[in-house]
Amino acid sequence: MRQRTLSSAKRQRSGLEVAKGRFVLSVTIPAVLYASIGLFTLGWAFVLMFFKYSPGRAGGPFLGLGGSNPFVGLKHFGDMIDGTSLQARLFRTSLGNTLIFAFAVLPLNLAITLPLAALIESVRSRLKTGYRAVYFLPVLTASVGVAMMWGYLYDPQAGLFNAIIRQLGGTPIAWLSDPRAEVLGVSVSMWAVIGAYLWADYGFNLVIFIAALQSIPSTFREAAVVDGANAWQVFTRVTIPLLRPTILFVCVMTMISSFQVFDIIQVMTDGGPNNRTRVLVLDIYKNAFRYQRMGWASAIAFVLVLIVMAITIVQMRLLRTEWEY
Amino acid sequence: MKRTICLSLLVVLLILSVAACRPTEPPPAPTDTPPAAQPTKEAPPTEPPVVEKVSLRMWAHQNEAFNQGYEALIGAYEAENPNVQITLETFEYDLYIQTLQTAMPAGEEADILQLFGSWTSEYAERLAPAPEDVMSVAEAEDLFYAAPIGGFVVDGVLYGLPQEFNLEYGGVLVNKSKYDAAGLTFPPAWATRDDMLNDAQALVEIDDAGVMNVAGFHFTSSDPLAFDFLAGIRQRGGDYWTADQTGFAFNTPEAKATLEWMLSAVNEWKVVDPVLFNDEENWVGDAFFEGRVGLGYIGTWAIAEGRVGYPDFEDEWDYAWLPSHEGSPLFVADSGWGLVVSPNCDHKKVAWDFAKYAAANPDSALPWNLASGTIPAIPEVAQSGEIAKEMPWVAAALDLLPHGSYLGSMPDRDQVIYEIIYPHVLLALQGVETVDEALEAIDAEANASFE
Repeated sequence: MRQRTLSSAKRQRSGLEVAKGRFVLSVTIPAVLYASIGLFTLGWAFVLMFFKYSPGRAGGPFLGLGGSNPFVGLKHFGDMIDGTSLQARLFRTSLGNTLIFAFAVLPLNLAITLPLAALIESVRSRLKTGYRAVYFLPVLTASVGVAMMWGYLYDPQAGLFNAIIRQLGGTPIAWLSDPRAEVLGVSVSMWAVIGAYLWADYGFNLVIFIAALQSIPSTFREAAVVDGANAWQVFTRVTIPLLRPTILFVCVMTMISSFQVFDIIQVMTDGGPNNRTRVLVLDIYKNAFRYQRMGWASAIAFVLVLIVMAITIVQMRLLRTEWEY
Repeated sequence: MKRTICLSLLVVLLILSVAACRPTEPPPAPTDTPPAAQPTKEAPPTEPPVVEKVSLRMWAHQNEAFNQGYEALIGAYEAENPNVQITLETFEYDLYIQTLQTAMPAGEEADILQLFGSWTSEYAERLAPAPEDVMSVAEAEDLFYAAPIGGFVVDGVLYGLPQEFNLEYGGVLVNKSKYDAAGLTFPPAWATRDDMLNDAQALVEIDDAGVMNVAGFHFTSSDPLAFDFLAGIRQRGGDYWTADQTGFAFNTPEAKATLEWMLSAVNEWKVVDPVLFNDEENWVGDAFFEGRVGLGYIGTWAIAEGRVGYPDFEDEWDYAWLPSHEGSPLFVADSGWGLVVSPNCDHKKVAWDFAKYAAANPDSALPWNLASGTIPAIPEVAQSGEIAKEMPWVAAALDLLPHGSYLGSMPDRDQVIYEIIYPHVLLALQGVETVDEALEAIDAEANASFE
């Protein structure tokens, strides 16, 4: 009897293992095959960056490489560093603008979303839901629609912002088209685009912070209050340190999406005025699809990947925590 | 066994789903608007139609006026050749360029392509040369104006046939209602550019805060700015090509004089604020039909677009021609839109027959030019009574057209015009660069494009 029980147990376990194996295979095989399509396109981009490739030229017999699409090795990367051609200088301009954009958006985003999340978290639950919904609405809006709307707000003749400035007796500003206007060394047009981007994006981080705040056990805050901490001290000495894993996540995601900004800039300024808002993804787009320099565009895309990867690693090292609650 | 069957089924399902994800040709643009004027019945006979059933695809960029004309052309050709079916597929402008770039390397482009003539040298390796029995280079140069056909001839080989004279130089939209309100004589009779600037000054509107709400003469969009700059060089006796045509020469006295004239229009005549009126802000084609421009410098193609895009624009308006900067009205022009044939087309003979019917047959070309509002590429068509009646601004330009020559085969025409000439000239007008700095930069960057 015991022997039969053991044998049937073995068969059951074996049956369970088989079912598990089938499930894993049925899920992973399609996923791997799907990913391999993406790997193919990544691989092609990786190859292209070593060629001066344009789809308009027939090139050599193998995938159009060689011939009129010659192999240039690492020349693209050398040009990025010290090339004097127009596209090399535009790359360096785009890189600078992208870094300015990303490193301006992140602290501004955190400065808005974190205190706002704390404020929302402090109100009654019925109101909390309403606030969360309202602040999340811009995230749901199509980015092209956001860009067009903000373009109208910034219109120098008929826009709302200049109407307010006129009412206050000031001189209207050409928000998106004056290449000379600067604040803190950054073009006004760049600040204008950052403003539009923050409006469209902050709701996403806000709901993440709200959820994180709700997950912090109240005992920590209560203990701090008992020890004599005021509200500011509770927020800065208890809440923010406990939010560190969430802050890390938000920083990484915000930086990655900032480095990839494209549509809002293309619609609002198309990189102008005078390339003051030209960012890397826009530079890639123009080189690849407007001027057919696929090889050069692939090289820029690769550099962008490396930069994003490096910044992500740095953030994870600086903000990592080795505890949980 | 069961496991093997399940895995096999999963793989088959995956292959089917991936195959379904392959990009398919986009559906043809909706064409529920009635076709434009039909070609006359007296059209001379084309080559004898091929008997077998032929199905061709044609690609074009989305422009409602253009495409109405294409639909009419296709309908007329199919009526004469019942065994031929041509399907027109249209794409938004930026998407059209990308579609060409991805389809051509894959050999999946349409049989007949609408192509901008000045792009032909970049795509020549992927186009089918026109057979001699369709048209030789000499015949084409004899039939068409010099500027339209110039771009379609690359290294002595004809690759396409133009349908329009893409004239970005010299023409302005004129707001008659603003003219009347300012007490100016309409139609304008400008003997010199100063006469025009006088009128433009009276059309400017500036609000209490010092913001220009209406530009008197908006010439600071990319195409008019660049082409007027190049024309100014030619009209002053200079050239922007080196003597051997292998490089550019922009840092010349003629270029400087032209740029200084533009600067005086901005700073002394104050007819436009180039910070508020340029490609990115208040683009001339939109700003004119929004009532923000008195004289809008733009090609005639904007007339049809304005009629279609702004049917509720209440001001009366017309089109007029500017006097030259100096002397003869020499100017340069792109080779405009025309038709080319793919080397992967299975029925090249029929495809070329249609291209020739559409572009080189005056009786077929005329209705297309009328529908699209474009200047004809064929002098005989441009001088016709129908053009004079329906498009009087073209009749007024007939004396100008023979002065045009092709822009020239630049290594990267779009980059030279839109990323080199236009930005630096605009920066000079905006006061960010001096005239000398702008010309030096244009000269250096344009010559670097040959590398």
